[in-house]
Amino acid sequence: MFSSLRSTPAKTVTVTVNSQSVAAPEGQTVWATMALAGQLTTRKAALSGEDRSAFCAMGVCFECLVQIDGTPNQQACLRRVRDGMHIQTQDITETSKAPIQGIPE
Amino acid sequence: MTYDCVIVGAGPAGMSAAIELANAGARVLVLDRAPRAGGQIFRSAANSPLSDSGALGTDYTAGSKLIERFEASNAEHLSEADVWHVGEDGTVLYTQDGIPRTVQTREILLCPGAMERPMPIPGWTLPGVMTAGAAQVMLKSDAMVAERAIFAGSGPLLYLIVAQYLRLGVKVAALVDTTPRRNYLTSLPKVPGALRSWPMMFKGLGMMREIASSGIPVFKGASNLRVLGQDMATGLEFGCREQQRVMSNHVFLHHGVIPHSNISRSLGLSHIWNAAQHCWQVQTDAWGQSSVPHVSVAGDGAGIIGADAAQSAGRLTALNILKRLGRLTPAERDRKASEDHAVLAKMAPFRAFIDQLYGPSKCLCLPQQADTIVCRCEERRLQDLKEGFEQGARDPNALKSLTRCGMGPCQGRQCGPIVSSLLADWRQEPEAQVGYYRLRSPQRLLSLEELSRFQSRPRGGAE
Repeated sequence: MFSSLRSTPAKTVTVTVNSQSVAAPEGQTVWATMALAGQLTTRKAALSGEDRSAFCAMGVCFECLVQIDGTPNQQACLRRVRDGMHIQTQDITETSKAPIQGIPE
Repeated sequence: MTYDCVIVGAGPAGMSAAIELANAGARVLVLDRAPRAGGQIFRSAANSPLSDSGALGTDYTAGSKLIERFEASNAEHLSEADVWHVGEDGTVLYTQDGIPRTVQTREILLCPGAMERPMPIPGWTLPGVMTAGAAQVMLKSDAMVAERAIFAGSGPLLYLIVAQYLRLGVKVAALVDTTPRRNYLTSLPKVPGALRSWPMMFKGLGMMREIASSGIPVFKGASNLRVLGQDMATGLEFGCREQQRVMSNHVFLHHGVIPHSNISRSLGLSHIWNAAQHCWQVQTDAWGQSSVPHVSVAGDGAGIIGADAAQSAGRLTALNILKRLGRLTPAERDRKASEDHAVLAKMAPFRAFIDQLYGPSKCLCLPQQADTIVCRCEERRLQDLKEGFEQGARDPNALKSLTRCGMGPCQGRQCGPIVSSLLADWRQEPEAQVGYYRLRSPQRLLSLEELSRFQSRPRGGAE
């Protein structure tokens, strides 16, 4: 279990993580916000579709790619929460079809 | 407008270089991905979310002094600026607040820092498995800790995070130390040299004592590590006299750090294999100058030296850049540099001792089982690579083309070092002969939408 030792209660913002509403200190990383909410799966592995989670937390492993406000491939460990942000586990795999705006499937 | 020098990375080397350059009147811009300067080692040192950051140690809290000096200097600093291309022509492309921009510079100084050496053991892709560096980053930037975690591997950084957890009252399930017992013997001849840096030695010994007296389970000389679990980590299995199992949903791995070379590789700079540190590093002279004269590299990104030495290296590199810019004569450069050269020479024997004592075990650098994942992004396993090798892919690029190993979003940052060493092992030739992936910009995933927001007008340029 992840927990926070943050002492000074900073100004909080509200975001959603896979539709769960979560309060988070302003400036907290997206990854920490997910982890503290108990949502550890950042993306699905490209082939097997297995769950993956943040690994390096410093931007080099690209395991924490999530979808933020509809944009995929965002590194959760580098991005910071903003009020109203929608964070989603990224489920793009080899077999998923890319939704292209304006072009019917 | 063209900058005299653009520095990529605001860690100890980048900040120290920036201060030196700015004080000499050069126009310097520092681009860094973090919200505040400090690099990984001094991350949030000047604005810790912890009530008592003293638990992280005096080396860490002292970082705030350097950060404040840097922030007070005339160096321009763009935070949360993510550099994704550095060109030999002096063009640097980065994105800040979602907008890609460009700057021009005469001199380029890369201070990319270190990353952790990949540790491809069975189960290392399971959620719950992270690196010890990750544990530290999470603690420093978000005051986030994992209760009852297992720390496994070897090296000062691993012991440091365990000690920090213990000081903060965070329960630790176990320290599984993979340092081979013979290393304590083979490193003995380097002890006298290392004692020249006796405060570092004492600090290290003090940390080990802190861990030993805490009463947490410590397994020494562990081998054959395997993370247990199906959908997430549930524990760690390893050999230590007999088969052992420790259960936990958090496993933090570490066996040393290596230079983060993706930008220097993409720039086509020459790289060499450092056998003592068992990693690739960019080739530089004593002034941090690379194979391309107007590109320099300083700090851990040019070969692992640690945060203290990185500050000296940053200043030395800056002095040489000032010489190249015509702001210092060679004699002035040499005179100003003598102290930092001496500091580096004094620290080198300590580093050599640490390299010997915590040199990575071959069985942790190379996957030992056919189904162990090597390329985390493309899910390529040892058996896939072996098959590619047997089909004739004898160098990293051929293997990449044939198997897709290294083609994923991390651009080989994780599998690259493993692939070099695997091929060296299979070919029975040194890594230097085998080579590394050929890399290209951009340094990260870049969407067309992001690119479409490109601001071609250089920052600070004429309307």
